[in-house]
Amino acid sequence: AHHFITATACQEADYGWMIQHYCLKQFQLSMEGIGQRLWCDWDETMGTYGELTNCTALIAERLDCYWPNRLVDEFFVAIHRQYFRNCSPSGRALHDPPNSVLCPFILLPILVTLLMTALVVWRSKRSEGIV
Amino acid sequence: MRKTTHSCFLLIILLIRMVPSLSSTVNYTDPTLEPVVTENSVIRQKIIDSQFKCYERMNRAPPYKKKGLFCNRTWDGWLCWDDTPAGRITAQNCPDYFPDFDPTERASKYCDETGNWFRHPESNRTWSNYTLCNSFTSEKLKMAFILYYMAIVGHALSITSLLISLAIFFYFKSLSCQRITLHKNLFFSYVLNSMFTIAHLIAVVPNPSLVKRDPVSCKVLQFFHQYMLGCNYFWMLCEGIYLHTLIVVAVFAEEQRLHWYYLLGWGFPLVPASIHAIARARYFNDNCWMSVETHLLYIVHGPVMAALLVNFFFLLNIVRVLVTKLRDTHRAESNMYMKAVRATLILVPLLGIQFVIIPWRPENRLAGEIYDYIMHILMHYQGLLVATIFCFFNGEVQGALKRQWTQYKTQWGQRRREHCSTRSTSYTATSITEVPVYLYHHDSNNEQLNGRYVEDSELVALKSGETSA
Repeated sequence: AHHFITATACQEADYGWMIQHYCLKQFQLSMEGIGQRLWCDWDETMGTYGELTNCTALIAERLDCYWPNRLVDEFFVAIHRQYFRNCSPSGRALHDPPNSVLCPFILLPILVTLLMTALVVWRSKRSEGIV
Repeated sequence: MRKTTHSCFLLIILLIRMVPSLSSTVNYTDPTLEPVVTENSVIRQKIIDSQFKCYERMNRAPPYKKKGLFCNRTWDGWLCWDDTPAGRITAQNCPDYFPDFDPTERASKYCDETGNWFRHPESNRTWSNYTLCNSFTSEKLKMAFILYYMAIVGHALSITSLLISLAIFFYFKSLSCQRITLHKNLFFSYVLNSMFTIAHLIAVVPNPSLVKRDPVSCKVLQFFHQYMLGCNYFWMLCEGIYLHTLIVVAVFAEEQRLHWYYLLGWGFPLVPASIHAIARARYFNDNCWMSVETHLLYIVHGPVMAALLVNFFFLLNIVRVLVTKLRDTHRAESNMYMKAVRATLILVPLLGIQFVIIPWRPENRLAGEIYDYIMHILMHYQGLLVATIFCFFNGEVQGALKRQWTQYKTQWGQRRREHCSTRSTSYTATSITEVPVYLYHHDSNNEQLNGRYVEDSELVALKSGETSA
């Protein structure tokens, strides 16, 4: 609370209350609609998560608080603990496949290259003297 | 090689970003997330994604254990910041959300002595310093443009010089032999590679709307680009294998069958290119496959590096054989062979060095710029280099050109005189100079030495040299 002593109209307590009662409720309804099985499917939940973020930002603007702030951090950490605890943290950005898939993909062409080179060397050696 | 193209494409991607289709109207001191406007939806998606990852990380990372005051981990709207001890400035790379943000610059955040994040004095809100992210943009844009045009000029010059070399090789039938056939294929693959690269640089790179639409054609273009890259390096490998077979394995093999070389040079590069296309489509299907931030590029660049290494070892082996075995018996011949190998031995490290030094881009701004210029020259002027070393600096080619030139001069001079008698003398003159040409031209092309002009005693001596090799 001491952060906002000299601030304008931003009341931390009010902000906390409002995001709990407006944004969180909406988010809970949406997530229940999606179903717990799909909570880790980022394609499904991204829209809802984005709306939640928007909601907190709008309320911050309404109350003259800046966004994001400490309350937002705590709020989202709690959300993640409740809804996304068992999910992989990678989100939706493009990323490489896991190493168990990546390594064969890379090693196979290299091996085939070496084999092919050996084959060509062997065949050209055997074809000497043929006109 | 991923990082090889890294600096090249980083600049090209920086270039894409600089094209002012999206202006950074976001005030970086105020990273609010406004209701979605369509052009910014991609940016917003990235930011939301980063936010998700940040809170996940904040959840999973262990709590701060060290003693003393610290600032709590936080999400500032753009980047994630860890627990930081009081009185410290922490920094990380700028995000790449906006066109004018350079992800190689650093953003910083100050945790003051009381354990609170720094607040901007004007607005009294917690503030991170993103000023460096877009402050050098205009200089970088200028340099990106210079490098871009340098690349296009390099490839255009390469195509020109390679086509001239091909014309020389096709016109002068006296030069043609198996090694020259391999040269012709190599030059042809370089021509095609340069053409695809120019098409990519002109049609795709400066065209963000095309990249956003992501048609299949630009992915096909990228596929052929990777294929031609493979062809370049595998034809160099074929040259090395041919020389190796000629000198070390089967000395004086009269005529090798070139089918296998064609297979390795033109056919085999389809394999890594196809595997890369499949893996890319399945796991990292970004727009137009332009991103270089993926290890999947090693699917193509791994075999290329393997080919370069194998080539290098073959050439070293050839040099070893020439120096140790043949020097004792036939100094002259081994010198001639050495000159044949010299050209290839110069080229292979030159082509390969870009793979080696790419990861080490200097941090210093000036050194980094010099490094970028050198890498661009090494990468985009290769065709010119290959044409020069294999064709224009080749003694036999120079000899053939000189002979042709003197022929033209005498013919032009004789045009005023009688035709019949002078024409026959000029023919005999050229046929006389044809025969002992191998004695005078000690450079690269030595196939005419193979059994056609060498005497029997030398043949026996060299063959005995081969058995002990």
